[in-house]
Amino acid sequence: MLSNPLALIAELTHRCPLHCVYCSNPLEMQKAAAELSTAEWTRVFQEAAKLGCLHVHMTGGEPLARTDLRELIARARAAGLYTNLITSGIGLSEKRLAALVDAGLEHIQLSFQGSRAEQADEIAGTRSHAYKLQLAEMIRQFKIAFTINVVVHRQNLDHLAEIIAMAEAAGAGRLEIANVQYYGWALQNRDALLPTRTQLERSQIVVNEAIERLNGKMRIDYVAPDYYAKYPKACMGGWGRRLMLIDPAGQALPCHAAAVIPGMTFDSVRERSLEWIWKESQAFRRFRGEDWMPEPCKSCDRRAEDFGGCRCQALLLTGDAAATDPVCSLAPSHKMVEDILLRINRAEDAISETNAPFSVTGQLEWRYRPNPV
Amino acid sequence: MPGPESTAKPRLAAGCRWSEPQGEDRTLLFPEGAIKLRSTGRDILERCDGEHTVLEIVEEMQSRYGKADPAKVAADVANFLQQLNQKRILDF
Repeated sequence: MLSNPLALIAELTHRCPLHCVYCSNPLEMQKAAAELSTAEWTRVFQEAAKLGCLHVHMTGGEPLARTDLRELIARARAAGLYTNLITSGIGLSEKRLAALVDAGLEHIQLSFQGSRAEQADEIAGTRSHAYKLQLAEMIRQFKIAFTINVVVHRQNLDHLAEIIAMAEAAGAGRLEIANVQYYGWALQNRDALLPTRTQLERSQIVVNEAIERLNGKMRIDYVAPDYYAKYPKACMGGWGRRLMLIDPAGQALPCHAAAVIPGMTFDSVRERSLEWIWKESQAFRRFRGEDWMPEPCKSCDRRAEDFGGCRCQALLLTGDAAATDPVCSLAPSHKMVEDILLRINRAEDAISETNAPFSVTGQLEWRYRPNPV
Repeated sequence: MPGPESTAKPRLAAGCRWSEPQGEDRTLLFPEGAIKLRSTGRDILERCDGEHTVLEIVEEMQSRYGKADPAKVAADVANFLQQLNQKRILDF
């Protein structure tokens, strides 16, 4: 039975003043001129609410790059959606934040790239860390939910305790510690981002201790890297099951990365209603349900739990979008993930013997995302 | 894990609200999530308005479920509130 989507991911723009090396935007980004108008987004919000959506996640790129953001928030709220703003904070002043809150903003998720300015700024490709700390103080003055999101990886996972302390001092009600997932720009930079097993084990201990210590004060959600997991993540809560993403030009996607899958036709909100897209769009139907599943997924007890993992990851790693996600220990192609991990962990063993600072590639060379104009 | 003080007045945390002003079907919305509670859970949460004390909520549930062990009702209510506090849905 077809479920209704619960949340709309509104990628308002691919423009962004940051160039994070793990950005999940597609390598081919939408140009500014192609972006949906205020009126078009308004209609999307109304249709989403009618379809059963409870939440809208306003993201990008950098949603603050939209000069009509205040209006968009007001329209989303008026349509009956709970408004989440996922932002780097660049472009936010006290006056502007007051206006957004006044318009109905309920939750702001502010990204940090680490706890140390120099490294955080290198990851973001832009000087931003100090500014974000100032913003945190400002955000606390307002009666909205405040989450800090920190993407973690090999370069900053050893600072986890420091990161948690930073979020606590900043007054966030919630901290999201998200291990990098390997799509888009992150995949380009994977060799420098994948953590070692030792780092992961240490980080879990740090997180568990902090969760207990900060119980009732700050909620901590930790997303472990699925390359190290026994079973895959239930990507997006299942294909075409819980979430719907609209890209800046109005293309409706089942997830951030779906454009990497060959043979996909994405419908546009400029041509079709959201309801039609959800129910009838080829893209949304392609991996919905269980008919498409190969073995071992088709007979697996977990198939209704993790849906065979991520289609885009299966495509990126095996070349076949219908394959079992290779991160699954039961996947026929699981060895390829084991080999990647072996390489990352072997390098650490070799270097720890010489006491040299750890880096697989020796010199870190990032592939940075550009800013589409 | 200790529960809330009996004199505490639980209330919804910033950014948490009901989907509608009233109704059995309404959902509790919070950052990136939502919960739909059934009768008892919903009734307890509705009384988390910054006005009712934990003790008042417990006593109401104890009288509603007269046949149940009052200590267990108190523990269940405290546990429920504690979980919502941990998720940052309720402030004490």
